[in-house]
Amino acid sequence: MDVLIEELKGKLITLLNLQELTPETFDADAHLVGGELGIDSIDVLEMVVMVEKDYGVLINNQEVGQQVFATLRSLAAHIKQHSPTKTP
Amino acid sequence: MNNNRTRVCITGLGLVSALGDGLAATETTLRHGQACLGRLRLFPLLQGAGLPVGQAVFTEDKNSPLPRTHQLALHAAKQALAHSSGHVPDAIVVGCTTGGMLSTENMLAEHPAAASTSICGNSVCANSACRYHALATVGAELARFTGCSGPVLTVSTACSSGALALALALRLLRSGQARRVLAGGVDSLCRLTFFGFHSLQLVDATGPKPMDRHRRGMAVGEGAAMLLLSSAEEDTPLAELLGAGLSCDAYHPASPHPQGDGALAAMRSALADAGLAPEDIDYINLHGTGTVDNDLAEARAIRRLFAQPPPISSIKGASGHSLAAAGAIEAVLASLALAKGFIPANTGFSEFDPDLGLHPQDKPVDKPLRSLLSNSFGFGGNNASLVFAAAGAFPEQPKLVGALPPLAVHACACFTGAGDLAATLARLESGQSCADRVEIARYCTTLPARQLRRLQRLTKLSLALAAAVVPEGKPAAVDSVFMGTGWGSLSETADFLARLEESGQQFPSPTNFIGSVHNSPAGQVALLLGAKGANVTTSGGEQSFEQACFAANLLACRSNRHIQRNDQQHTEQDEPGTLSSLLLGADEAHVSWSPMLDAAICPDTPLADGGGALLLRRDTQAAMAVISHCQLFSGQTAVTLLLDALGGARRAGERIGLILAGISAVDKGLAYAQLEEFRRLCGQHIPVCLYRDFLGQFASASAVAAVLAVSLLREQYIPAVLLTDQKRVLSPVYLGGKSVLLLGCGYTLSAVEFALP
Repeated sequence: MDVLIEELKGKLITLLNLQELTPETFDADAHLVGGELGIDSIDVLEMVVMVEKDYGVLINNQEVGQQVFATLRSLAAHIKQHSPTKTP
Repeated sequence: MNNNRTRVCITGLGLVSALGDGLAATETTLRHGQACLGRLRLFPLLQGAGLPVGQAVFTEDKNSPLPRTHQLALHAAKQALAHSSGHVPDAIVVGCTTGGMLSTENMLAEHPAAASTSICGNSVCANSACRYHALATVGAELARFTGCSGPVLTVSTACSSGALALALALRLLRSGQARRVLAGGVDSLCRLTFFGFHSLQLVDATGPKPMDRHRRGMAVGEGAAMLLLSSAEEDTPLAELLGAGLSCDAYHPASPHPQGDGALAAMRSALADAGLAPEDIDYINLHGTGTVDNDLAEARAIRRLFAQPPPISSIKGASGHSLAAAGAIEAVLASLALAKGFIPANTGFSEFDPDLGLHPQDKPVDKPLRSLLSNSFGFGGNNASLVFAAAGAFPEQPKLVGALPPLAVHACACFTGAGDLAATLARLESGQSCADRVEIARYCTTLPARQLRRLQRLTKLSLALAAAVVPEGKPAAVDSVFMGTGWGSLSETADFLARLEESGQQFPSPTNFIGSVHNSPAGQVALLLGAKGANVTTSGGEQSFEQACFAANLLACRSNRHIQRNDQQHTEQDEPGTLSSLLLGADEAHVSWSPMLDAAICPDTPLADGGGALLLRRDTQAAMAVISHCQLFSGQTAVTLLLDALGGARRAGERIGLILAGISAVDKGLAYAQLEEFRRLCGQHIPVCLYRDFLGQFASASAVAAVLAVSLLREQYIPAVLLTDQKRVLSPVYLGGKSVLLLGCGYTLSAVEFALP
């Protein structure tokens, strides 16, 4: 799962253009939405698209979304659990 | 000339939407309260085939070169003018977001390479297929059809566009500049909006249920509605437009303010403008899209304003959300409701939502109505509310006392390929061209990284302009924003459609869709400055900036009316506010979409972009310049009409010290002929600078020219090297206190005069 977490860090930094972050400074347990990173509902939608596109996991329920995107770690766990293909 | 009678009547109506073609068919549909949504049949879908849409009851003429949007608009205009006794409107204001997008998308579906090649005029054909892409062409076709020779404005503020168009028409009529105005809104379905709203998870696959506890979103619709508004006493009123209120949430690019602050402000402002209190309103026609957030914000705002809310309903459960057309469609329905005395049903509603605390009308009901409030709340927090009344229902009308002083320029800034204002002026003084793409990154360093990270070229440029012109530490003073853009955010549009196509319509980017709407830059500027007043984006081709200026003249820096009630005599003072307004124009050069869309760009035209911004107030104390005239005309008599408006050829000739002429690259012959006629009539002696030769070929070059005008006024001299007849001019030409005229020549003629205060 650590590999997935590192992979997601890189993807989110690029996807959301989080220029102030590096994989080293990206805390996997920090709040994603509404936290220090300033990630909002639009970013969540972008992440939803990415997760479906790159991992084949669909997140189309708002409540599920809120739990899944709580932290990077919870996102990785959800992907690992629901991905149709094996993820490292 | 001031028209003391501010009674503005609606004398013509036309509409076509999913509800039906024309008034009679629409009324029948509404009285049955039935939903008119179905599957999209306009273009093939790989995804989302099951999503309901409100496709208009309209078959395009396949032999016409006009895109669907334009055909819808003309269809509605024809209906509206059918009973107008042949009067040609003095002005036209139309709201639109899609323009020729559907046709462009259809072309790209057959020739995908057209969007990724940077060669223009390629045989595939781009230029002719995209001839009607620009929003400005919608207004232009309406002008051509009606024979209107006066101002034609095309506005684009997402879902509030149609209502904004009516608000502008109202102000125009009250100012006395026009007696009859054709105003409305139009949009056609297209992939951009269909998949755009879907990517935001704002579409309910089971159909919209406005105000319902289980609502999950909207349905995208299309249509057109046009209204003929008149202040001429001899015209027969169907209804009256009593007031309009505009505001901007300045909260978030896609979500409304959760407590409905902006919505509340717009509704309050509309009521004040109409001279009515909340308890005078008999029915509220909701924006009511059916999304979780909109309906909640709107309901909260209504409950804050109305101690006992009147009957309410949204028709979007029946028609879908027609975007720019919505506000105008609902205005036509408002007129119908008032004239016939009935309230349409809130189709799609079944279960009360305690969080909203409002019960909408679930069935159509016959009820005589004296007044009605209609809401249109757009993406980017653009809010518009309109108050309508049955003809003659409120005989005592507030009377306008005194005219607003002209707008004065207190600061200015620009960016071109040469750099900022100082760099641009230095380049110009050496007689060299500034035509190039702006080094945007260089001018964004002081802007908040958080706000910038999701933004692309045009929006960054707009923010940089705003930051450059507003005094540091005083952003709160800016209340309203007026922006002109010929092409909008091309980067986001191109990226959205490219991703859509590459992923087989599966994975378009929500961020790109939000950024692609024409009013996105102005919305971001409002966020940066906390500007919560009117927020207007105009798209008038190479006169986008001039149209924004025209709108600013009507709307900027006004206080809320002070209404005295004294034995039923209402008088009001329309005092200039103490707040400032930002007027800007900007366009981005996209490496492949610009040559594809803009016929002015030829193989040897250097790709150029940029923009200019002016900080405006009504007070002239310490101002750099005053905007003494802002006029728009078209047709064969345009030059004569313009000179009349400028006080006559002789006076204009004595007053004007320099003409900054924008020659339309597409209508060159016509443009040069106009310039020559103008000079012939008011003085061959007036020096001319053909500014596009120096600033670059991009739609909003006139915004930079405006900043140049203000700078030249301050310097009081014109570098000879900029003038067309420089062979005869050896030394700098002194202005000697005279004014600078920004003259836009081509299919439409525009003039903005800058004078010393």
